Order: sequence, then C-alpha cells, then structure tokens
Amino acid sequence: MKHNILLAFSFAFRDFKERYVGTGLGQFWYILSPLVMIFIYTVIFSDFMKMKLDIVDNSYGYSIYLVPGLLAWATFSTIIMQLNTSFFEKSNLIKKINVPMYTFQLSIILTETFLFFISILLALGFLIIVNQPITWTFLWMIPIMILQVLFAFGIGVIVSLFTPFFKDLKEVVPIIIQLWFWMTPIIYLSSMIENKYPFLLEYNPFYWFVKIYQDIFLYSKSPSFETLWVLIIMTLVTLIVAGYLYKKMIATIKDII
Amino acid sequence: MNKILEVKNITKIYKMYNNNFNRLKEIFTNNSYHKEFIANRDISFDLYKGETLGIIGVNGAGKSTILKIIAGVIEPTSGKIIRHGRVTALLELGTGFNPQMTGRENIFLNATLIGMTHKECKERLKDIIEFSELGDYIEEPIMTYSSGMSMRLAFSIAIYSEPQILIVDEALSVGDAHFAAKCTKALRDRKKQNMSIIYVSHDLNSLKLLCDRVILLNHGEVAKEGNPEDVINSYNFLISKLNDKEEKLVIKNSENSSFGTFDVEIKKVTIIGEKSNSNIISAGENSTIKIDIYSKIDISDMTIGIMIRDKFGQDIFGTNSFHQKLNISFNSNKYYICSFQMSLNIGVGEYSISAAIHSEDTHLENCAHWLDNATSFKIAGTVDNVFAGICKLEPKIKFEEIK
Repeated sequence: MKHNILLAFSFAFRDFKERYVGTGLGQFWYILSPLVMIFIYTVIFSDFMKMKLDIVDNSYGYSIYLVPGLLAWATFSTIIMQLNTSFFEKSNLIKKINVPMYTFQLSIILTETFLFFISILLALGFLIIVNQPITWTFLWMIPIMILQVLFAFGIGVIVSLFTPFFKDLKEVVPIIIQLWFWMTPIIYLSSMIENKYPFLLEYNPFYWFVKIYQDIFLYSKSPSFETLWVLIIMTLVTLIVAGYLYKKMIATIKDII
Repeated sequence: MNKILEVKNITKIYKMYNNNFNRLKEIFTNNSYHKEFIANRDISFDLYKGETLGIIGVNGAGKSTILKIIAGVIEPTSGKIIRHGRVTALLELGTGFNPQMTGRENIFLNATLIGMTHKECKERLKDIIEFSELGDYIEEPIMTYSSGMSMRLAFSIAIYSEPQILIVDEALSVGDAHFAAKCTKALRDRKKQNMSIIYVSHDLNSLKLLCDRVILLNHGEVAKEGNPEDVINSYNFLISKLNDKEEKLVIKNSENSSFGTFDVEIKKVTIIGEKSNSNIISAGENSTIKIDIYSKIDISDMTIGIMIRDKFGQDIFGTNSFHQKLNISFNSNKYYICSFQMSLNIGVGEYSISAAIHSEDTHLENCAHWLDNATSFKIAGTVDNVFAGICKLEPKIKFEEIK
C-alpha cells in the first residue's frame, strides 16, 4: 500500500516532467493554458462586451466572477474524463505488471491537483492586476479545492469502473460533462435560474463548490458551515461508494480488459 | 529448504457472458448468467529458495494463467498465493517502455514499475547498461532501437532488479545466441545467490539445463510433477498423441516424393524412443525406427534403407540392410516389419526420416519404393553428458602432467 502510493507520486512527478518533453516552451505550457483562459475572458467579456456586474464595484467584475469557476471546472472535468478512460490507457500495463490500478488513478489526481493550484495562483495574480482585494478569507480556497479534487476522484473512479463494461460510456461521459457545465452557473449568474429551475442549483454538487469560489473572489465571503458539511459528507459518501465498487469489480475488470 | 512461494489450490474460472450487462448484473446479484471456462483447476505447488521450477504444457494448458496469477496481475477464482518475497515477472519484456525517451531514462521508468526503488536503480544502473551491451546507444531514444536491443535492455533490468522470485516466460529467445547464452548464465548465477525462478518455455533443451523440477500442466491441471527428465518425457508422449492425426496426413501429402514400382510398398514409418515413448527423443537415447512393408510380388535380394536428414535437408546418417550384409526376400501379399534399433547420438534439433526399398546398395537399382520424409522426430536434451554440435562422439579425456 505504502509502496503503491509512493509509486503514484513518482508517476505523477514523471508525468508532470514528461508531458511537454521535446516542446520548445517545455514546462511553461502548464501556465500558458490557464493564462490564456484568464486573458480571453477578461478581454472579451470586460473589455469588448463591457459586461459588468452591478453587484460589485469593479469594471472587471464579470471576469472576476468567471475565472475561478472556469478554472475549477477545467480541473473537475479533466479529472473525470481522464479517469474515465484510464483503464483503457493503462490496460497494457496492468495486464502485465502487478501495480494496482488505483496507483495510476491516484497519479492522475496528484498531477491535476498540482496544476489546479498553479492555475488558482495565476488567478490571484490577475486579481492583483485588476485591483480586487485579496484577504485571509482566500485561505478557504485550499480545503475547498482539495475537497473538490477528492469529489472528482470519487466520481471519476466510479465512472471508470463501468466504462470497461460499456464502451459507450467513453463517448457518453464527455457529453454529460458538457451538459453539466452549462447547467451550472459558471458563465451565467445563479440569480438567472434560481427562480425558474431551483433544482439545478440545489441538486448540482458542483454548484456547491463553484458558489464558494465565486463568493470568495467577488466578496471575500467565507463559506457557511452548513455548506462545508454538505461538501464533506458528499465527498466522503462518493469516496466510500467508489472504494466499495472498486473492491467489488476490479477482479472482473482485470479479466475483461 | 525454505519455501519462498506457496501456490495453494488455485482455480481460475473465466466466466463467459452473452454481453457485459449480464456480467455486471452478476457482480451485484446472486443470479448466474454465465458459461464457464476453467483455465486452472486446483493447482498447488511450492517453490523453494534457490530452486528453478519449469512449467510446460501444450498451448492452452493454463501456463500463462497460472503465471499471471502468481505475478498478481489477475485474481484467482479460488485458492491462495503466499509470496515470501518480491516477485518480478517477465510476462512480456519491455512493458511500459516509453519510445520517446532514452534507454537510460527508460531504465528508471521500467525499474520502478517492476518494484525497484529509485535508489536501488541508481546503484545498479551501471551494471544494467553493461549487461545490455548497448554502449552509447543508451543515450538514444528507444524508438531507434531494434527489437532485439530493447529486449536486451528489458531483460537486463529484470535480472538486476534482484527479486526473490523471477518469472520468466519464454524470455530467453531474446536476441541472438550470444545474448541468450549470457542470459542463461546470468540466471544460473542468480540461482546460486538463492534466487528462485519459475521458467516457462517450449524449449525442452533449456528446461532440462536450467530446471531442478518441472511441472506438466494439461487441461488446466497438474498432470505430472518431478525431475525434468521424467516430466519432459510425459510431455513428449502427450504431444505425440496430438501429432498422431497430422502425421498420417503428412505421409499422404508427400506423394510427389514417393516413387518406385510399388511392387513392394512402405506402408508406414515410425520412430520411438525407448524412454520417451514418443518421437521426441534425447540425444543418445536408444530408439527404434520401424518400417511397415507390404509386398505384392515374390522377390529376393532386396535392400531396405533409411536416411536421417536434418531440417536443412542435409544427410546426417544413412544405412541399409545391404551394408549390414542382410539378405532380404519378400513373398507376395505378405506384411513385414523391418526395424532399425540404435542410439541416436546426434545433436539437438528436428530431423526427418526417409526410407526406401530397392536392390543392391543404392535406390538407383530397381527401386521398389522410395518414401521421402516418411516421418519426423526431434532431439531434445541429452541422456548423459551435454555436448555441442551435430554428432555425439564419445571421447575419453585424459589429462596428465608432462615430465
């Protein structure tokens, strides 16, 4: 167990080092993608379209609203989609080498978590540029981000266990992810749907996360304890279900991939 | 001796379903939706420290399955594997190599995958590179390697990962003869250092050379277990039974290399080793070549001959009754058996036997029937002392000091 977790770290480290091996910019690509994302949404929505939020006193208000949600979603969806196909990608390895699958899945999580933190650091840089105050409340980001990654891990593992049985899931999951994105108030404001479709907010686990990020970025507002409890319980339940299913199904999966 | 691996009542049943949905339903309900395929049935054995255990069996006997279970790659349906040390399995050499990266980087990549720590790998890096004989190529990406080169690298990593138990699946066919010999030597050295090896191969010769004990699997069960000589003989017997059907076909098909007047006809040629009881024979084993003959006419002063050829068609040995000063006469409509009994003092390999009936000393005179490739046999392993080359001379070696 300990060896396998250490192994996951070494895989993650290596994957991180090697992903852009041979490219001219090398590791700089890791920063470039979130940087471009922040830049686009700032320029287009705040400079070109002059979209403003009435609720905050900052001409870049809408961008400030967008950035944390988009970055968090990027990590969330990448984790689920990568885990979804992980059994297929690693099938040649797990069929021949006695390294449990969760090691590979864990290494995906480790890499993505690291990148998530880097992208949020860049977002904080953006806040400084647009004169948005950064307070101690921002420290709440850390536990919430970790919870979000763990939640994505649970969901991703559960999905990945069923994909070897139904290959269609490989195609279905990205579509569901896209629908989920547009059903969550990331681009638009939650106030636009809360009267008409309140269930989209209440029963959308990702909304609970994104709401916290948006509140912190816009108003430096700490999450309520009620929200925290919901997140913790939701994440724990997902992880337990994932662990239970993994144990139950892994032997059969090894036979069929 | 200490047990290093205990295989206890391993059964592996592959369940076959009409579709994956049924498979999934069965995991979560108590209903059954499958047909069964039994790959391993109640296999038990122990492996001791420093022992080399061979596993043989025809294709589909369950060898790979049991190896995968021992390696921990798949789960047994029932039974238990107790490992008292690190198991490294060479199920497929070079698994996890990244072709974009250099040989040196791949050493680290592959070594962590098969269970070495980074520190161990650093310490042994030099030995690994040296053993692989890749030289400066080690700094080139793997994709520029020939397949033999990457296999060499993979084997070097595996042998230097110094596991307590090494599983080798047909891996010694890697590379050229030079490297194969080096691998065999390395395995023997490791054995002296108390590493246990499970060795699976169809190369009966190397099995006899390397193994202390051999297990024969048949239809997923342990059919025989014991010293290599005995078990390989039963394996050969098993194979010869499988070959029986094909053998008849071969003779029928080789009509073009069968000619003569057919007044006296060779019906069948068989070869059988005294110990192996089949056509797979150890070098030096006493064997009998039997020729079944049917004669349509009365004829005297005939000769029956045989010729043994290797797989390149080269004549290895031929003799006939004329050379042996034996006079042979046939009566019409009678069956005869002519047998040649001899020690097959020839080297390892595959051979064919041709037989002929004619008068005088060659088939050019009055050829009644010439049957090319009447049957074939295989020499694997030796009865006593190992030798090299195509023939087994029996020298007496003397050694003394000159005064």
